[in-house]
Amino acid sequence: MIKVDAGACIGCLSCSTVCPSQNITRTETERTRSIHWKRCKEECDLCVELCPARALALVPFDESVPEPEVTLDLVACRICGAGYATEPMLQRIESTLPEKVQRDASGLAWVRVCPVCRRKIEAERAAGQLVLERRRKSI
Amino acid sequence: MPVYIDISRCIGCRSCEVACKRVHGGRGHVNVHFVGEYASIPIFCHHCEEASCTMLCFTGALHKEGERTAFDITKCTGCGLCHLACPFGVVWTDKIAHKCDLCAGLDSPTCIKTCPANALSTDFEEAARRARTRSAIIAARGGGR
Repeated sequence: MIKVDAGACIGCLSCSTVCPSQNITRTETERTRSIHWKRCKEECDLCVELCPARALALVPFDESVPEPEVTLDLVACRICGAGYATEPMLQRIESTLPEKVQRDASGLAWVRVCPVCRRKIEAERAAGQLVLERRRKSI
Repeated sequence: MPVYIDISRCIGCRSCEVACKRVHGGRGHVNVHFVGEYASIPIFCHHCEEASCTMLCFTGALHKEGERTAFDITKCTGCGLCHLACPFGVVWTDKIAHKCDLCAGLDSPTCIKTCPANALSTDFEEAARRARTRSAIIAARGGGR
């Protein structure tokens, strides 16, 4: 079965996706994401190997140990307010990417904006250019 | 070799979206956005030179292959970090990640071949030439201020 280091788990979707027996379940509400590890008897360690945070370990089966569960709050997008990511995942991105790419030309910290709003911003920026071009043409 | 967009030509028909979904088994990687009532803009993967998605991918599923930001489906764990690391929101995680692969295996991306308005191309020279022509016309008319 799997032992979880709850402090290290970043709340990503890796283990629940790779588990071949669907022993790791994920429930998501608008504001939280919970990951639940069923007490499994398998000796498969795919989730352990593929955990980006190295938060999992394979330990001998023990019925007395409660099934681990991690619940993390979802961070709200700074523009639309939708919960879109866990704080440790965003922190991992902020610590991996070079600082200069973490702000766009307008100074926006885009990591804290949800992907849907990022696409909208990109579209609005491009539309702004188009309007500028049309205005010039009509001079 | 990203897909260059001539937004002044886009007519907002969403043919590129449909074409992309058709060749990628129903999961498309193009999003046509409408800004107010005056502009339609297809949003694509930029195939960034220093791609944030590849920097966050810990299994090497997302990697640079020349100019292309390529994706190896067999290595993806579906963690979702790439989805959050893309500044333009054009990498999706839907059990596993999916993004524009410039139609690997085909001679040119299907969206380009499909676009009825010729708004898309992979030819930077062509895109630049059109932009230069347009600014020359504007300058000749006394605009551009």
